Amino acid sequence: MTSSTRLAALSVIVAVGAVAAYVLLLRVAVVRNHPEGYVVAFALTTALAALAVIRARGRRWPAWLALGLSGLLLLGGAWFNFVVARVPVAPTGLRVGERPPDFTLPDAAGRPVSLADYRGRKPVVIVFYRGYW
Amino acid sequence: MSELQGLGAQLSEAEKTGVEIVAISPDPNEQSQKVAEGLRLGYRFLADRDLAIARRYGPVHAGGGPDGQDVPRPATVVLDRDGVVRWFSVSRNFQVRPDPEDVLRAVRAL
Repeated sequence: MTSSTRLAALSVIVAVGAVAAYVLLLRVAVVRNHPEGYVVAFALTTALAALAVIRARGRRWPAWLALGLSGLLLLGGAWFNFVVARVPVAPTGLRVGERPPDFTLPDAAGRPVSLADYRGRKPVVIVFYRGYW
Repeated sequence: MSELQGLGAQLSEAEKTGVEIVAISPDPNEQSQKVAEGLRLGYRFLADRDLAIARRYGPVHAGGGPDGQDVPRPATVVLDRDGVVRWFSVSRNFQVRPDPEDVLRAVRAL
């Protein structure tokens, strides 16, 4: 195996490994909260593949294949992280030290739950999440 | 969903009874019920079908859904026993959620 092919293989392995690690470790806060990590990983594998293309003598397709894969992952990953996933900054009515408005919503069983039910009884952590999808 | 698991997993049994975690999403009740059973955590899952409460509290990502609909902006709010906001975090990238450690620190400081 030429050094170019080895570099190309390393590039593909690291790229696929980065995707797998991100998906598997999504529950780990430090991984989930640094999504730019996968963009950096794809930039690294793109550089490795580019080096493989430069060093290729004779059989060039493994290097070009690795470069194509990493290049697509880099573009797609950067677009997703920096464009799609960015939430436009909009002011919220929340202020530390103020009491937010009360609300009543049905729970999973359909019973109404009011924020006021907890006043004087328990601290409350409200988590707004995007839903199951 | 992963932020809900992270937060619940780090609470001790005593803390689970001492604080109420209220998870609000536009999911219908049946879906929330499934999630609640799957997680086996002492959360109250509340259905905010038309985002009325998310809009009143502010964390809405206008047009951020897959079909261009409005979706909640991931946010976490810690209220003390008197219902006063002591800490909150609103996400600027929907992949990023508050670190459970930060939420717990805010809860433990109450």
